[in-house]
Amino acid sequence: MSVTEQGLLEREKDSMTLNMGPQHPSTHGVFRIVLEMDGEVVDDAEPHIGFLHTGIEKTSEAKRYAHVIPMTDRLDYLSPPSNNLAFCLTAEKLLQTEIPERANYLRVIMCELARMASHLVWLATHALDIGAMTVFLYCWRERERILDLNEEISGVRMMTSYIRLGGVAKDATPGWLQGVRKFIDYLPAKIDEYERLLTNNPIWIDRTQGIGIMSREEAINWSMSGPVLRASGVDFDLRKQRPYSGYENFDFAVPLGKNGDIYDRYLVRVAEMRESRNIVEQALKKLPTGPYKVDDNKISLPNRNTLKSSMEALIHHFKLVSEGISVPKGETYVPVEGPRGEVGFYIISDGSNVPSRVKLRAPSFMAIPGMCAMMEGCFIADVVGIIGSIDIVMGEVDR
Amino acid sequence: MTSEEIIEKVKSDQGEDIQSAEVNLGDAVLFVAPGAVHKVLGYLKNDSDLNFDYLSHITGADYLNEERDPRFEVVYEFHSMDKNHSIRVRVGLEEEDPTVPTVSDLWRGALYPERELFDMFGFKVTGHPNLIRLIMPEEWGGHPLLKDYPLTIEDIAFSHNRELKQDLVKSKPPTR
Amino acid sequence: MGLIDQAVDLVEMKVNDVQENVKDILDQADYELSGAVYDSILTTKVGKVIGWAQKNALWPATFGLACCAIEMMAMANSRWDAARFGAEVFRASPRQADLMIVSGRVSQKMAPVLKTIYDQMPEPKWVISMGACASCGGVFNNYAIVQGVDRVVPVDVYVPGCPPGPEALLYGIIKLQEKIMNEAGTKQAAKRVA
Repeated sequence: MSVTEQGLLEREKDSMTLNMGPQHPSTHGVFRIVLEMDGEVVDDAEPHIGFLHTGIEKTSEAKRYAHVIPMTDRLDYLSPPSNNLAFCLTAEKLLQTEIPERANYLRVIMCELARMASHLVWLATHALDIGAMTVFLYCWRERERILDLNEEISGVRMMTSYIRLGGVAKDATPGWLQGVRKFIDYLPAKIDEYERLLTNNPIWIDRTQGIGIMSREEAINWSMSGPVLRASGVDFDLRKQRPYSGYENFDFAVPLGKNGDIYDRYLVRVAEMRESRNIVEQALKKLPTGPYKVDDNKISLPNRNTLKSSMEALIHHFKLVSEGISVPKGETYVPVEGPRGEVGFYIISDGSNVPSRVKLRAPSFMAIPGMCAMMEGCFIADVVGIIGSIDIVMGEVDR
Repeated sequence: MTSEEIIEKVKSDQGEDIQSAEVNLGDAVLFVAPGAVHKVLGYLKNDSDLNFDYLSHITGADYLNEERDPRFEVVYEFHSMDKNHSIRVRVGLEEEDPTVPTVSDLWRGALYPERELFDMFGFKVTGHPNLIRLIMPEEWGGHPLLKDYPLTIEDIAFSHNRELKQDLVKSKPPTR
Repeated sequence: MGLIDQAVDLVEMKVNDVQENVKDILDQADYELSGAVYDSILTTKVGKVIGWAQKNALWPATFGLACCAIEMMAMANSRWDAARFGAEVFRASPRQADLMIVSGRVSQKMAPVLKTIYDQMPEPKWVISMGACASCGGVFNNYAIVQGVDRVVPVDVYVPGCPPGPEALLYGIIKLQEKIMNEAGTKQAAKRVA
């Protein structure tokens, strides 16, 4: 063996450490990943999280139940209604209240609109990472229309806090429902447009097909959830498997993938957008009339008009505003299907008006170790695609 | 299987290892001692009727204000993908030695939640391959989610009594 | 004496006056700025031109932190179109950027990173603190969040809101442009590149 050959062999063993983040345009937030590289191939990927640790779980232990809801918005900030819903369903399970039908339908409409908005942001940023700039601009165009609807019904573009304990914040106006109707009529053609740009695009296929593969067993073992799990062929959608909030009334399909690669996740999410649109359409058609919040003055504020005539209503109003809702002692966990997967809150109540412990089961947080396992053995250029395909939101990873 | 059937089956198969079992608000809940965690959870995963192959989450809890014994608790939540049922396992931990064995050999998804348990509560997870801080910076002192950890420290920017400043920095009571 | 001689005398007088005036101004400037003549005369004009160029070509760093980052992306997109104000060229490297939009809450773990990125940006540089959390900690008054990013880096413009809409952020950028223009050619502008 000559000296040069030996030198080359020794160099082969060398690996390079590459740092990505926390400020990196394609890590979708403040996510840092340290890659151990062997040439262009990733040997080992170690994530570092916590750069957005907000202490929301700790802060919730000092807030009343109604005050926790706006903070849940800021966890998964791409789809606030799913978080609101998960928190409210958990607290309502402890309170053992029945939610009126109309409130359930309005909740479903909001959640599905948020799912579409979230998937649109995912598609925009994921495509941008891989190099498709046009899709980025197109997706935001549609998202703005959803944000306008959010603003109309709740007053805020993003952090709606629309879903409250015992129902929703206020009733939907006919004008708003018409706006939703217009939007869902407008959307399918636009989804076709994205698909025309991407689905059969050879560059897109080269960058996504056969990359970041996760088998069915691995996906379950790594606790992946949502579209990532379904792209690996696991038929598990909490909306179908454990219907909550009246999802059993809707007829929709659960799109599944076969190979569990980045391309399948793309197909699953795009199909989910179409299914969400169908759910909203059915909800608009079947939207019942009636109250939009429970008629229990221990949980929801009494009607404003009764305050001047009814002593009882005044007392309830005062108690609710000054003291808040007291939730019976106990603990429970309710999962819902958010855009990224299983979102759930584990709430421990000590019987007072302040939760004793609020824990968020965050799909992005559970997906991070699995994502890094996916990266081992792939090329450095594909790391960006894999991060994008998992659709992590750092707000709920770090909480 | 319904929650009642799950509890029946676990009770009959693992009666000596579980402390108690109940159905709480429709959810199946098991109470297990820390010593038997690995055995019971391994049974839950590998039993063909139960088949809890999916770890939903692991969390900790601190019951300091409720005067409960034991003070700490670790909660596991499992789903079964094929059977579509769930179970919750609650493990009480003593204040003196909050130690729980790792389950990351059964569910690899447990690696990060267990590190979070260590970071946020200071529980020791035996057998974990890489038990270091996950979310807080490495040099951070204390474990934030413990009840005796203050939510925030009142920051006094200026004081004439510089030497007394340390005493002026007080923990702030939570606002309700 | 002819008319021409009169005119020449007049011109000479004027020139003398101007010269004396300039000398006075120079002396005064010399006294005030101790040698920084060019700051007061030359760069007032050139400085304005530079300021005008800078304000219309703000290059923000791609520095998304939390929820506000999504609205920052919305601002750069077609509907709100930050390109109208010359602030659409988001740069991934802080070395190429001169505006940092702190979009979201800054945690104790992120604060040193944020300071490093700020230090890496070439001068002159500006900072917009976007949203309640970046400005004052917002609703998160707890152990994890830095109570206002102005404890870490100097802030030029605060944009309120949770999150502020793209139009609010655009207004913040316009305000920053006004600030740049007002500062142009003054000592403050010189300080920024010092």
